[in-house]
Amino acid sequence: MIQLIDVTKAFKNNVVLDGISMDFRDGELTVLIGPSGCGKTTTLKMINRLIPATGGRILIDGEDIESIDKVKLRRNMGYVIQQGGLFPHMTIRQNIEIIEKLEGKDEYQILKNTERLMEMVDMDAGKFLDRYPSELSGGQQQRIGVIRALANDPDYVLLDEPFSALDPLTRSSLQDELSDLHRKMGKTMIFVTHDMDEAIKIADRICIMKDGRILQYDTPEEILRRPANDFVANFVGANRIWGSPKFIRVEDFMIRHPVTCDASLSAERCITKLTMRHVDTLLVTGKEGQLLGIVNRKSLYANHRPDKPAGEIMLPPKCTAHPEDSILDVLKMIDRTDASNVPVVDALGRVVGLLTNSNLVSTLSRQYLEDMTEEVRGND
Amino acid sequence: MIKMFEYFGAHSSQIWKLTLEHIEMTAIAVCIAVLIGVPLGILISYVRKLDKPVLGLANVVQAIPSMALLGLAIPLLGIGVLPAIVMVIIYSLLPIVKNTYTGISGIDPLMVEAANGIGLTPRQVLTKVKIPMALPVIMAGVRISAVTAVGLMTMAAFIGAGGLGYLVFAGIRTTNNYQILAGAIPACILALLVDFLMGLVEKLVTPISLQKSGGLSRKQMKRKRRREKLTLGTAVVLICAIIVGGAVNSRLAGREKEITVGGKDFTEQLILVNLYSDYIEAHTDIHCVRKENLGGSQVCYQALKKGDIDMYVDYTGTLYGSVLKHDGTDDMEGVYNTCVKEMKKKNISLTQQCAFNNTYTLAVSKQIAKKYNLETIRDLVRKSSQLHLGCTLEFQNRHDCIDALKKAYPSLKFKKISAMDGSPRFVALDNKEVDVIDAFATDGMLMKYHLKVLKDEDHVFPPYYAVPCFNSDTLKKYPELQRVVDELAPKLTDEVMMKLNYQVDVQGKEPKDVARAFLEQENLI
Repeated sequence: MIQLIDVTKAFKNNVVLDGISMDFRDGELTVLIGPSGCGKTTTLKMINRLIPATGGRILIDGEDIESIDKVKLRRNMGYVIQQGGLFPHMTIRQNIEIIEKLEGKDEYQILKNTERLMEMVDMDAGKFLDRYPSELSGGQQQRIGVIRALANDPDYVLLDEPFSALDPLTRSSLQDELSDLHRKMGKTMIFVTHDMDEAIKIADRICIMKDGRILQYDTPEEILRRPANDFVANFVGANRIWGSPKFIRVEDFMIRHPVTCDASLSAERCITKLTMRHVDTLLVTGKEGQLLGIVNRKSLYANHRPDKPAGEIMLPPKCTAHPEDSILDVLKMIDRTDASNVPVVDALGRVVGLLTNSNLVSTLSRQYLEDMTEEVRGND
Repeated sequence: MIKMFEYFGAHSSQIWKLTLEHIEMTAIAVCIAVLIGVPLGILISYVRKLDKPVLGLANVVQAIPSMALLGLAIPLLGIGVLPAIVMVIIYSLLPIVKNTYTGISGIDPLMVEAANGIGLTPRQVLTKVKIPMALPVIMAGVRISAVTAVGLMTMAAFIGAGGLGYLVFAGIRTTNNYQILAGAIPACILALLVDFLMGLVEKLVTPISLQKSGGLSRKQMKRKRRREKLTLGTAVVLICAIIVGGAVNSRLAGREKEITVGGKDFTEQLILVNLYSDYIEAHTDIHCVRKENLGGSQVCYQALKKGDIDMYVDYTGTLYGSVLKHDGTDDMEGVYNTCVKEMKKKNISLTQQCAFNNTYTLAVSKQIAKKYNLETIRDLVRKSSQLHLGCTLEFQNRHDCIDALKKAYPSLKFKKISAMDGSPRFVALDNKEVDVIDAFATDGMLMKYHLKVLKDEDHVFPPYYAVPCFNSDTLKKYPELQRVVDELAPKLTDEVMMKLNYQVDVQGKEPKDVARAFLEQENLI
C-alpha cells in the first residue's frame, strides 16, 4: 500500500501541494484528477521520486521511499507517460525488454513474457516486435507503453495522462483494455488524467484535487451522487451521471411520502382523498406500513358501493422497486410489465416511495433540459 | 596539364607517402579530438554552469590563426608531428563539443523523464538513451571537424610534420605550381573522401526509424545500410593499417644511428639540408632524417634548442642580429666568434662557417636601375620616396634588416612597403607592382629575373655566412660529425650556391637532385 502523509511540495515560494494525505489501496486503480495546476502530476511523480517532496512522508508498505534506492523503487513501479515515452531508436522489443535485460533476467523467460504481454493487448508479436515506434500508430505505441510498464512485473504502475493525445475512439478502446489488464493482473495502478469520463470509466477510486489540496477522495459513484462541494459538483458536471445511468438510484428520484391509505378506508373517502391530493393512485398499506395493493380512480369509480373498503377494491401492484435499484432496472421492469406506477418498497415490504410515469419522464428529460440551459449560458 | 600529370607521375611515390602521412596524422588528431570533445560536451550538458565558459573558450581558440597557434606551440612542443596534431585537435574540438552539447541537451525532456521513470540509472540514461539519440548530431560535428582537419593538417608542413602541406609549401617557395597542385589536389580529394565516409557514419548511427526513407522500402533500406557498413568498414581497416604501418615503420627506423637535419623554407635551405644529409650519410654511418621547410629562423632555432632537430644551417648575421640581438657590424670574424661563444651558452655548437655569404641585398629591375640611376644602396636612399618596397615579413621585422637600413640612412623613406612571402615578391617586381625587393645574395631568382643587385658600400647588412648549427648533445654523441661537416664548408662558395639555387628556382630541378648531382660532380661522395 502506498501512503501519503501530509506531503507538501513547493517550488520556491509557489506551493504546489499543501499537505495532502491519502492511501492508495493495493490492487485498486486510483485516478488523480483535477484542473491543471492542481498538483496531480506532481503527486504522481513524487511517488516514483522523479520530484522530491518538500515535506511529509510517502510510505510503501510502511517503508519511507526516501530510504529505498531510486532505481530499485522505479523498477518496481511501471511508468507510462503521454505517447508512451517509447525510445525512438529502439525497436518495440528493445523498448519492452529494456528493464528486464538490465535486471539480467533469463532470455527465454523475457521472450515468453513479451509475447504474453503482446497477446494481452491483442498485438501480433511477430509483426510488431522488430518495428520501431515511429512505424506504429499512436494507440499502438501507447499499448506498448503500457506493457513496457508491466514487463518487469512491478507491484505498482503509474500512468501520467497516458491516453490524452489519442483520438476519442482509440482512447476509449485503450481505456477498456487498461481496465481489462487491471482486472486480470491485479496491479495497484495510479492514473493521472483531466478527463472526468475517463476517470469514471476506469477508476476504482477517484481523488479530485484543486490548488494542491484533495477535495474529495471516493468511489466514482459516491462522487457522482454526492459531490463534496460545489466545485466538485461543477467539475464533475451535473449531467455526468447520465453517462453512467447505473449509478442513478431509484431513491434519487422517487416520490417520497406517496399518498397512502388504510385498507379499511371506504371507496367514497378514497375518491375524496384522490381529489384533494391531486393524484390518480393510492397505495394501500397495512398496519406496519407494508404495501398491500393499489387503488386508482378508475377502479374506484367502477365500484358502485361507496362504503366498500379499499382493501376489497385494491389490485396487487404489477411490480415493485427497491430504493437501491438503478433507473435502468426500473425502465426494464416497466417495459416488461407495462406498469404506469411502480411503488418503491424497502426490504421489509414497507412503502418508501413511488415512481410514476410523469415522474420518470421529468427525471429522464432533465439531462436534455439542463444541457439546453448550459448551452444558453455558453452563448452569453 | 600534361606537364602536371608528368610531375604527378614522376613524384607519385612521394605524393603517396605524404598522403599516407596526412591521413595518419589527421586520423589520430580527429580520434583524440573525439575522445576529448564528446566527454567534454556531455559534461557541459550536465553541468550547465560550464557550458558558456567552455563553448566560449572553444570559440576563442577557433578564432586564433592557425599559424599563430603553431608559432606558440613550438617553444612548448617543439616541431614535428606532435604540435601539428595538437593544433588540429584544438581546432577540431569546437564543432565536436558544440554538437555533442546541442545533441544531448536537445533531447526531448519527456524522453529523459521516461528513461528515469522506468528505472534506468543515470549512467544507463546516458549510454542507452541520451548518447544513442544524440549520436546523429554528434557525428555531424565530428564530420565537420574531420573535413576541416584534413585541410588544416596541410599547415603541419610548416613545422616539419610532413603531410600534403609539404608539397604546397615547397611549391610556393620554389614557385612550382605543379608541386603546389600535387599537394592541393590530393588534399581536396582526401577532404571529399572524409566527408563522404563521415556522412556514411552519420547515416549509420541514425536509427532506421529516424531516417527519411526516400521512397525506399524497409528491405531496400536495410540492404543499403549493409552496403554502407561494408564501405565504411573497409575504410576504417585501411586507415588503421596506415596508422599501424606508420608506427611500425618509425619504430624500425628509430633503431638506427640517426640525426635529424632541419632547414628553413627557402630554396637554398632545401639544398643545404640535402647537401649536408647526403654528405654526412656518405662519410659516416649516421642516417639523416631530412626535415625541410621548417618556417623561418625562429622555428628552426627553437626546434634545435628543444632537440627536435639535431642540426640546421643558419647564417652568422641572423644568429648575431636576430637571435642574439646585437647591432650590425661588418667584422666577419668578430660576428662568427661572438656567435660561437654566445650560442655555446644556449647548448648550441657552431662548426666552421661556409665560404658563401648569403647576406641581404636590395634588388631592382634593370629598367628601374636605369630610370633612377641606381648602383648602390646609397643611390636608392636618395630616390626612396618614389619607390615601393616589397619585402619578406622577416626583412620587415628583423632588427638587422630594415631597422639597420633606417639607422644607417635616416633619410630613407619608401613610398610604400608591402610585406609578402618569399617567392611572390619576385613575381611582384616582375609585374611592376613593387620597385625594390629584398633578396639573398645567392638567390637563384636574381639570375632568373635578371635583377640589379645594389651594392652595400656602407656594410649596413651584417655578414651572412652560412654556418652549421648543432645541438651540443648531438656533437657529443657523434663527435665525428664535426670533422665531416668542416670538410664540406669551404666547398660551398657564393658561385656554387648561386648556381645550385638557380638550378632549382629557374630550371625547376628538385633540391634533392641538385644537391646530389653537385656532390657527385665534385667527387665529394
